Amino acid sequence: MSVLKIKDVSKIFPNGTTAVDSFSLDVADGELVCLLGPSGSGKSTLLRMVGGFETPTSGLMTIDGEDITRVPPEKRPTGMVFQSHALWTHMNVFKNLAFGLKLRKVPADEIKRRVEGVLELVGLGGYGTRSVTQLSGGQQQRVALARSLVLEPKILLLDEPFASLDQHLRERLREEVRDIQQRLKITTLFVTHGQDEALSMADRIVVMRDGKTEQIDRPDVVYREPQTPFVAGFIGTMNLIEGVVSNGVFSKAGYATPLPVSDGPVTLAVRPESLDLSAVSQGSQGKVHRVTDYGTHGMVDLELLDGTRVKAMVPHPDLFKPGQGVTLAPKAIAAYRDGRVIHRTGVVATTAHPALVDA
Amino acid sequence: MTAPDQIGSVTPVRRRPYGLLLVATPVLLVAWLVIWPIISAVIQTAFVTTPDGGSAVSLETYSFFFSDGYSLSNLSMTLWTTGVCAALLLVVCLPIALYLRFSDSKVAAYVQGLAIFPMFVPSIILSFAFIRVLGPNGTVDLLLNSVGLPHIRSPYLTPWGPVIGLVWDNIPLTVLILLSGLGNVSNQAVEAARDVGAGKLALLWHIILPRISNSILVAISFAVLGIFSAFTLPYILGPAAPEMMGPFMQRTFRELLEPKTAITQAVVTFGFCIVFGLFYVRSVAKNRAA
Ligand SMILES: Nc1ncnc2c1ncn2[C@@H]1O[C@H](COP(=O)(O)OP(=O)(O)O)[C@@H](O)[C@H]1O
Ligand SMILES: [Mg+2]
Repeated sequence: MSVLKIKDVSKIFPNGTTAVDSFSLDVADGELVCLLGPSGSGKSTLLRMVGGFETPTSGLMTIDGEDITRVPPEKRPTGMVFQSHALWTHMNVFKNLAFGLKLRKVPADEIKRRVEGVLELVGLGGYGTRSVTQLSGGQQQRVALARSLVLEPKILLLDEPFASLDQHLRERLREEVRDIQQRLKITTLFVTHGQDEALSMADRIVVMRDGKTEQIDRPDVVYREPQTPFVAGFIGTMNLIEGVVSNGVFSKAGYATPLPVSDGPVTLAVRPESLDLSAVSQGSQGKVHRVTDYGTHGMVDLELLDGTRVKAMVPHPDLFKPGQGVTLAPKAIAAYRDGRVIHRTGVVATTAHPALVDA
Repeated sequence: MTAPDQIGSVTPVRRRPYGLLLVATPVLLVAWLVIWPIISAVIQTAFVTTPDGGSAVSLETYSFFFSDGYSLSNLSMTLWTTGVCAALLLVVCLPIALYLRFSDSKVAAYVQGLAIFPMFVPSIILSFAFIRVLGPNGTVDLLLNSVGLPHIRSPYLTPWGPVIGLVWDNIPLTVLILLSGLGNVSNQAVEAARDVGAGKLALLWHIILPRISNSILVAISFAVLGIFSAFTLPYILGPAAPEMMGPFMQRTFRELLEPKTAITQAVVTFGFCIVFGLFYVRSVAKNRAA
């Protein structure tokens, strides 16, 4: 039973960079929370503060109610898996795993039992005597994970652990880590800048930007109901159209749709899969620029009359040709003003994240 | 390359001697300036002139060296100085190198500058600076006297004189070699060790030292090679007797006018240096293999 609480934590580096800005988060027991955000948004800094490698400038962190804000990493009940280059190359796999247990004065036979058990768990049974330099990148990250797990940490921290691996391996390890995490019911904080990684693994996603939280929600909610235009644009593919509302009608360069909000500038957000297109010869709102056939569906890139680019997913791509006039009929839209959502209609219950296929 | 047929027929014959020639120059130079003096020194000391004018193999000069109390005490003095210097260098330079590697404060840049500084000071200047500061009536003495404290026992002209000078002189190279070794220890490897519970000592002993053991060996071999045959610092700062091999050879040659004895001393010194050199070569080879 381990609960992590982060309250109003900030980190300002000596050079004046504010990497994390009044960040708060509670991670429930056994939960896997993904910190998702573009590079430089403060994810690693936040994770390193939880691990004890950076000291917060202000704020409070507790694990199971115990204040750990200023506890050094060697005394924290956290286990960290780094991006790469963190294995001790002068030790073989077994010794890498046994090191922490030896420091804790665990008897030799128990060390052997626990190390072998964890190696089995990460799919490296019998690899104990291998030198870590002989392992592939994926195996090395498994060893790094096993090295943290063998100490049974209360909180597991992973900082883009698969970033240096190829796509295929990344997907497999992602599933394995998720399986292991659920089997051990270990409270986990996972850093990534890949939305597909976050969407497929997390119980909850924290979208970060400039050291601050943009949104904290379940993956499907983050995907379907992004609270800010930043989240809308960052997760999946989203058309963001800047326009003006007057008298309940949104308009942008010849395209108009009813939008029941007060007058003023608005960012209209439509997912490609929520945008129906019809080919027309007259009264077109846009023009097809390119059609891509993915086999299962097609993606149409079109231009509004002023050149604004919009993507639409279509079931029959062969119906559209470059240069052709089209009209747009959004099935679900959201509207943002001043960085907040002010209107949302027709949340569609799509299948799992179709917009990710070309992400 | 306009006439391929011509080049095709000419190059195999012509190029080979050029390549060999390029290699031959340094090889000949080494043979002439290094190998030959060694061989000639060994030959000169291994033969004696018999009364009837011929020559015979004899290790007389060596058996003299290794039975002469004074020669032996000079040799052991040299070994002692070398050993003490090597130990002190590690004790002094390892913390400096660790600090430079792991500190991210701005002071580190200045410390690095300071640590490298002795490299730019010729040993002769260093010697006189040493005398001025630590010698009898030197700065330290004057300062102590001015506040009513007794004279220090100056290390000048004691075995500790050369030790202090040689350690100072070798700090830059040792720090640089250790620092380059520490460059191979990744931050993440260190942080991972702290993460599993390693305190400062465990970190140093189990993670950092094993990773830089080769660099330590290289640094010590370098320092030891230089110190063993040092001349200027022991000559100026050291005691008259027993003395280190460097000044000993010079005095035997110049003042006692016994070239053969001096050469014998040189060959013995060379023998020790070669053992240290082999250490160095071995650790480099091990590094390459890894
Ligand atoms: N040690 C440091 N000193 C100064 N600035 C830093 C340091 N580490 C990170 N930063 C800055 O803090 C911000 C957040 O960095 P980081 O947490 O690594 O982001 P992310 O992991 O999301 O890519 C960046 O602007 C980065 O330049
Ligand atoms: Mg990062």
